[in-house]
Amino acid sequence: MRLFEFQAKELFRSYGLPTPRSVLAGDVKSVRGAFASLSPPVALKAQVLAGGRGKAGGIAIVSTEADAEREAKRIFDLSIGGEKPASLLVEEAYPHSSEWYLSVTLDRGDRSFVTIASTAGGIEVESMAGKVIRKVPLAGIDQAYADEVASLLKLDSGTAPQFAGMLLSLERLAREKECELAEINPLAVGNDGRLMALDAKVIIDDSALFRHPEFAKLHPEDEFEGEASRQGFAFVRLGGDIAVVGNGAGLVLSTLDLLGDAGGNPACFLDLGGGAQQERIEAALRLVNRLPGVDRVLVNIYGGITRTTDVAQGILTVLSEGRAKPIYARVSGAEEKLARALIADSPVKLYDTAPEAVQAVVRAA
Amino acid sequence: MIFPKKGEPVIVQGITGKYGRLHTRFMLDYGTNVAAGTTPGKGGQSVEEVPVYNTVREAVDKTGSRSSVLFVPAEFTRVAGEEALEAGIKLLVLITEHVPIRDTLRLIQLGQSKGVTIIGPNCPGLIVPSERVKMGIMPAPSFSPGGVAVFSRSGTLMYEIAGQLTNAGFGQSVALGVGGDPVVGTLATECLDFAESHEQTKAVVVVGEIGGDAEERLAKHISRSAYKKPIVAYIAGRHAPKEKKLGHAGAIIYGDYGTAESKINALKGAGVSVAMTPMEVPDLVKAALAASA
Repeated sequence: MRLFEFQAKELFRSYGLPTPRSVLAGDVKSVRGAFASLSPPVALKAQVLAGGRGKAGGIAIVSTEADAEREAKRIFDLSIGGEKPASLLVEEAYPHSSEWYLSVTLDRGDRSFVTIASTAGGIEVESMAGKVIRKVPLAGIDQAYADEVASLLKLDSGTAPQFAGMLLSLERLAREKECELAEINPLAVGNDGRLMALDAKVIIDDSALFRHPEFAKLHPEDEFEGEASRQGFAFVRLGGDIAVVGNGAGLVLSTLDLLGDAGGNPACFLDLGGGAQQERIEAALRLVNRLPGVDRVLVNIYGGITRTTDVAQGILTVLSEGRAKPIYARVSGAEEKLARALIADSPVKLYDTAPEAVQAVVRAA
Repeated sequence: MIFPKKGEPVIVQGITGKYGRLHTRFMLDYGTNVAAGTTPGKGGQSVEEVPVYNTVREAVDKTGSRSSVLFVPAEFTRVAGEEALEAGIKLLVLITEHVPIRDTLRLIQLGQSKGVTIIGPNCPGLIVPSERVKMGIMPAPSFSPGGVAVFSRSGTLMYEIAGQLTNAGFGQSVALGVGGDPVVGTLATECLDFAESHEQTKAVVVVGEIGGDAEERLAKHISRSAYKKPIVAYIAGRHAPKEKKLGHAGAIIYGDYGTAESKINALKGAGVSVAMTPMEVPDLVKAALAASA
């Protein structure tokens, strides 16, 4: 789960990591109030989870109240990666001479957490020159480790202790809150030599959330994502007109590929999970029937532990409730003959293979 | 990597839970010797006539098993896994989904120090059709004995592709789900090394998906080791959006890291035959086997 910048910065402050003075504002009027309480110039920063916020115009630096109001209006009206900013972080600008990078993150390939640090920050980490990468032991790092990273970066005696202190805090935060990523980019070196976290990116390990109830209610939940998560579905809204439902993450992913190749637009990714029962397919179909923008439903089931007859029964039940969107289905695997016989006389359009079902659902536009 | 032979005893941890019970039945039906189960506090009971013990130590002492398949809930997986490793288990299959990353990392570290093969978490397990050994949740009818080794990050795609191989007359020497998490106990490279020296295996099918760089690393490994057996790959997620977790915790693209395109290009560059859909896999296996004969 990715935190909003203002949430990540609250977390930073609770671990003693320096961040600029800021106020969170939920509307234009609050932005004016926040502006008045800070020393200009201030940055207005859209609070969204999507990437590319700066490029999309989601950040503005303003020096007068009139500018603050105008820019706030503009930013609140933006859609950044399909996301409307629910709030702006109004933050004092921090005069600085250079921008560094520091993170503690999972290195999947090496199956280890690592520290990544560079004095050439402010850009994509992949293309950063001269970066230092060190493995982080599961038990945590110590002062000697932090000092060594500072020395590898060739920091001077003024900034090295500050930097080492920040690394120790960031690593402790990443470990205690079970982050996949805790990142400061940019880490600004102030004109007076003080270090400051100008941005904060934190991704918590979703699987570890049961140990961190403090994060459970941080996000305003989309109605459909909330329901899907209560049902135990893996669900992602995608914005198109064809709902994609299947059993198993990989199978649904490959169905999205078939659909994309055929020129169709998925409305969602919905994985029923393994061993799906009749009630689950019913709940899934009811959910996608209510999803805005859905015109047709593509169902791809490979029956194993999931019984295809249960799937067929579930489809029939939802159809009998009326107002169901047209269903294009491929149902294969255990007991498929029985399942097919069950839905043969229903309005469900049934196909032998996934590519055939996909072609048909796309053509029906 | 050593799998049980026909009739060798296997332990089920979490045997009294809903999934433990259900799949114990299916594993027994397949012909696998589930000799004991464990659930703390449920010792003395039985499930499908399999005796239940409180600890893995007792189960190991009574059966001599060195292989365990684990169905316990995510929040207890680390403790149960550590118990198995301390009790002398040498093959540990973690079916459980949603295990915290740091718990998995601790298990991997402990497993490495003890020379244990850990498969998963978040995986369907493994099946060796010629030995009637099934340590996992895959549907048996999709699989048949033969010469194709299947290694997959996804469960259902493994069943689907194995089913199509079976229908096309290509049985499997082994099928193993490495798991859909960002970090798993057994790497694709280790699976390929196993298959290369595994006599029954004539060709390898690798099923990958978006997220991470396991397939890119695999491609490097194939080139560097001048791999000797034909390989066919399928990668799911060519049309996947970025920054969205798609079903598996590990199936997520960040920027340009973890795209299907990068994986497909890397594998093609290593001489691997890459299918664009799961349905193409049997034909490519046939062609690859013919070319290598």
